[in-house]
Amino acid sequence: MSAHHHNENDFLFKYIFSTDHKMISKQFLITGFTMGFIGLVMSTLFRLQLGWPGESFEIVELLMGSWQEGGVMAPDKYLALVTMHGTIMVFFLLTAGLSGTFSNLLIPLQIGARDMASGFLNMLSYWFFFVSSVIMLISLFVEGGAASAGWTIYPPLSALPQAIPGSGAGMTLWLVSMSIFIVSSLLGSLNYIVTILNLRTKGMSMTRLPLTIWAFLITAIVGVLSFPVLLSAALLLVMDRSFGTSFYLSDIYIGGQVLDHTGGSPILFEHLFWFLGHPEVYIVLLPALGITSEIVSTMSRKPIFGYRAMIGSMMAIGFLSFIVWGHHMFLTGMNPFLGAVFTFTTLLIAIPSAVKVFNYLTTLWKGNIKFSPAMLFSVGLVSTFITGGVTGLVLGNSTLDINVHDTYFVIGHFHIVMGLSAIFGMFAGVYHWFPKMFGRMMNNKLGNLHFWSTIICAYGVFFPMHFLGLAGVPRRYYTNSEFPMFDNMVDINEFISMFAVIALFAQLLFMFNFIYSAFRGPRAPQNPWKGTTLEWTTPVEHFHGNWYGDIPEVHRWPYDYSKVDDNGDYIGGDDFIPQTTPLGEGEKDGGH
Amino acid sequence: MTTITMENINYKEEIKQKTSKPLMWIAIMSIVMFFAGLTSAVVVSQGGGSFLDIPLPSAFTISTFVIVASSLSFHYGLISIKKGNFGIAKVSVLITLILSFVFIASQWMGWTYLYENGVIAVGSSSTSSSSFLYLLTALHIIHLIGGIVSLLVVFVKLIRNKYSAEKYLGVQVSITYWHFLGGLWVYLYLFFMYIIA
Repeated sequence: MSAHHHNENDFLFKYIFSTDHKMISKQFLITGFTMGFIGLVMSTLFRLQLGWPGESFEIVELLMGSWQEGGVMAPDKYLALVTMHGTIMVFFLLTAGLSGTFSNLLIPLQIGARDMASGFLNMLSYWFFFVSSVIMLISLFVEGGAASAGWTIYPPLSALPQAIPGSGAGMTLWLVSMSIFIVSSLLGSLNYIVTILNLRTKGMSMTRLPLTIWAFLITAIVGVLSFPVLLSAALLLVMDRSFGTSFYLSDIYIGGQVLDHTGGSPILFEHLFWFLGHPEVYIVLLPALGITSEIVSTMSRKPIFGYRAMIGSMMAIGFLSFIVWGHHMFLTGMNPFLGAVFTFTTLLIAIPSAVKVFNYLTTLWKGNIKFSPAMLFSVGLVSTFITGGVTGLVLGNSTLDINVHDTYFVIGHFHIVMGLSAIFGMFAGVYHWFPKMFGRMMNNKLGNLHFWSTIICAYGVFFPMHFLGLAGVPRRYYTNSEFPMFDNMVDINEFISMFAVIALFAQLLFMFNFIYSAFRGPRAPQNPWKGTTLEWTTPVEHFHGNWYGDIPEVHRWPYDYSKVDDNGDYIGGDDFIPQTTPLGEGEKDGGH
Repeated sequence: MTTITMENINYKEEIKQKTSKPLMWIAIMSIVMFFAGLTSAVVVSQGGGSFLDIPLPSAFTISTFVIVASSLSFHYGLISIKKGNFGIAKVSVLITLILSFVFIASQWMGWTYLYENGVIAVGSSSTSSSSFLYLLTALHIIHLIGGIVSLLVVFVKLIRNKYSAEKYLGVQVSITYWHFLGGLWVYLYLFFMYIIA
């Protein structure tokens, strides 16, 4: 017994500084959702300004105090909210919240391990995330306000503290917070990769891994390779801001005064930022694809169609994500030939994406579909992955992108394909694995209502944005009412904002369902969805170590649903065969 | 029914054996990407034509020999541990530690030479090339400090007879990182010589 042993049942070590992956998963979920809700409220507030520019909202003044004097949002606060909304949603909700929650929960449970490779690093990963979240929120309240240069924090706005109010202390805190966040992400990813590669139970070959695990593995590899590059970009930015270097700055005039910087280039920042930024899209999306693959198969009571093609597609997406960053920079004066190369690599991503969509649809085809809330959100993801993906073909093509660059077309595209798909995947995961996390069931009727209200509002918000973009309405502007050419767009903006407000209330349904069910929901059975994977073989109650006695051995792939013998009868007498059931005589393993 | 708890010392040891080296390798992957990002940034920046107009300090060449020698001495220490020659292992690791400090001293000499010849790290007199030169060397040293800490741990454990000819995982992890730091410096040195200077 180690000398520094502590009692894991103490409140402090059980709930706060826990090294149990299941508790850390809940910590990520709750922190991620809290940040996500704050990000959602921010978007609703600035949608009020965009829908009804200059109008006074007393309730908002009540909530926001001096931020919204007279009920009208000031321009600098608008820019700060837009920046913080993007940052929080992309990184804190959809990166740490999604990957942190489900990688932590499912990797040990589905591969058959008692915990992560390093419980201590895992705990550190969460606490770095928590501290970075707190710093990011504190940055809202410093002098000059939060960072306001957009979530991409392009220099020179981000590099010169005197550029705009949000370029001062708020920007400094943004950089500090994100640096800590990157450390958190790297520690998490290290653990996920090593755990998957080294701690699988007996029989759990790589081709018997559930697609969730494959998705988490590829996500973690992409994260380990791309986040350090963002860290290097942030470091150079800190140097420019605080030590007078000229990595990103050159020949800058501010307030009529020439600054000392020479020789740098803001385009360098874009290269470094988007080398992470584009893989980041898949760091957000891949876990959602893995989660929904699992749910679609389970709730269709059918094997996943094209298991190996699904793995290959995710690998291809992960690889291609590193060679497409230039499509964010078509308007930086890029050599048109280079633009054509990035167009080509970007459009290649359509192939593995289409393979995934095809496999989702063929898995659903003639399935015995159970429309649980998790399944609804999974099908919702298939929908958003298609509708958002199609507009990606426009933006990935340099000749088309130039026309709609930095317009609402881009906002509509990435919110649907990345934002909605990822959050739908996250909701699907929460509904599906809630019984495993909390030992209780969520309310299905409220879940269904949550899904339908969310998807209607989501399309109500983001679909019309494509038309705004095609009409040339630029993103990030405080108000479009100053430009007569956009006068006929006012109604569309009102329409979008109304849906945004309703969407916020729809999420309250989820919050109520989540909190109420965690304490008062009906007790969950051990295997409520009749799943085949190992997590459903663990007891409902949680303890550190996951299985009493030995870890079960695995004998088959995870998608043996509705498998029949030569007489057409279900093998094993039910429409699913757990991975722990040995193969029968002459029976073939599905993954091979 | 037996409750398997995470406090089971054998279980912890088994996990450590299985995962320590892969954890180090993946951490190294992320450090590689960090430096790849920065050195790529140098290449992109040089589109603006900013190059160092003096030759690299000879102290950096000394640094290169010193860090390669430190890798060799540490490796000899590992071989000695495997053979059970713990006395030689202690001396080898001690030499490695001393060489690590010599490396830092030679870097300091290099910086002094650069500064005296007008190559400035920060502020209005700096160029992106000069700033990159200082930044990359400083970041390498920051990573090296992590390596020195791990060397110290190995040295203390050697003195306290914590390793045996069969059990030396900590040394293997530490030496992997140390060899990597050596390789990283050689890469940076060649990069400075052929790209920045």
